[in-house]
Amino acid sequence: MKKLLITISFLLLILSSCQSDKKNKPTQEYLRWVGDIEQNDQIDKPEFKVCNGDDKILQYFNVGEGPVYEGEKSTILNTFKSKYKPLSDKEQNGFVRIRFIVNCNGKAGRFRVLQSDYNYQEFNFDERIITQLLDITKGIENWHIIYEREIAFDYYMYFIFKITDGQLTEILP
Amino acid sequence: MKNLSLLLVLFSVSYVFAQPNCDAYKYYGDTLKYEACKKAMEKKGYYQFSKEYQTVLDESLKIDPTFDYAYWAKSIAYLKSGDFVTWKKLIDKAVEYKPIDHLGYRGWCRYQFFRDYKGAIADIEKLDSLVDYDIGQSQNGTYHLNIAKGLCYKAIGEKEKAIKIIETQIKRNEEENFVGAYDYLHLGILYLEMKRFENAIEFFKKQSEANDLAENQYYSALAYLNLNKSTEYKSCLEKAKKLYVIGKKMSDTYSNPMDKIYLEDIENEIKTAYNKS
Repeated sequence: MKKLLITISFLLLILSSCQSDKKNKPTQEYLRWVGDIEQNDQIDKPEFKVCNGDDKILQYFNVGEGPVYEGEKSTILNTFKSKYKPLSDKEQNGFVRIRFIVNCNGKAGRFRVLQSDYNYQEFNFDERIITQLLDITKGIENWHIIYEREIAFDYYMYFIFKITDGQLTEILP
Repeated sequence: MKNLSLLLVLFSVSYVFAQPNCDAYKYYGDTLKYEACKKAMEKKGYYQFSKEYQTVLDESLKIDPTFDYAYWAKSIAYLKSGDFVTWKKLIDKAVEYKPIDHLGYRGWCRYQFFRDYKGAIADIEKLDSLVDYDIGQSQNGTYHLNIAKGLCYKAIGEKEKAIKIIETQIKRNEEENFVGAYDYLHLGILYLEMKRFENAIEFFKKQSEANDLAENQYYSALAYLNLNKSTEYKSCLEKAKKLYVIGKKMSDTYSNPMDKIYLEDIENEIKTAYNKS
């Protein structure tokens, strides 16, 4: 019994010290760059690899070509137009961002979702909308490979979807 | 001379396109903002997205949580990474503490990055109501903010209003010899959409003289088609394709501009043109 009490006290002590640790931590902890996505084995496919290491992943606009898509943006627009099945729901309004990495082979991985209403306040869309947008994005097989000084690099890319009454009205950038 | 110095100091506190002059805060006796400003300047040399850059600005805001510049500078990376939630929180703070310096910028970004047309209109009109001088250009210099506002009105379906706004601003731009790279084109397309084909062609010709683009020839072709001028229709489409292939097309570092077309659009129209004859 005494042993059990000691163990419980010890566990409580650890727990409380963890909490105070959390309180003392700075409010904001940054990764290398704003918007960086770390590999999460729980949700990310292990076969997706970046080519040059996480610390060398650039942004899609770093070479100044603007957003570039394999087969131009019209291909992307056509893909979503043909595959997205709109929900008729007046409550589904706002922005959805899907951010991900395109590697040096033109393959995409580490997809992350951010959602807000049109007042930029966080909001959870109907799962059927998010699942569709994610699945269609993941289903795009080839992405534009960006080269700098003849070396293909990994880069962050994103889509922002504008949803109005459950309809997909615009895709950015 | 004293007045000139004062004018220079006053002017230098405004910094939409530049670094703030920290000494200006000192001059006005705002030592807190002066210290916050000096701290913020330590970001020099760091990439906007980096941990170091963001951390220096956090430290600056610890010194003075009302220092609008630091919020604005922090917000940029969130904007460019598409994080509309964090961006909006930060830029709202900048606007709260210095609305005149940041409203035009926030309005433009709402349009450029998120196609938030109503939000952009509200910000640009608010700025216009607060100042009695020209509200100026978009952050990237492509448009006068009134042209951007006109495009937003077009996007929400108020095309006549958009035409009036853009016509008025183009006249002012012409007087100052400072017409934007796509101004004539956008107005021409608005006329085309309102079935004012002769007007449309007049402005496409102006665009062609100033800065010819694949889009300009493509929409010219559509105007000629509506006027039953099939020779011009086809030749414009051919020109559109040539211009597109050599890269003379609408572009923006971060997004796809309004009214942009793709090679597929031109090729499909060419197929239609030759199937008709």
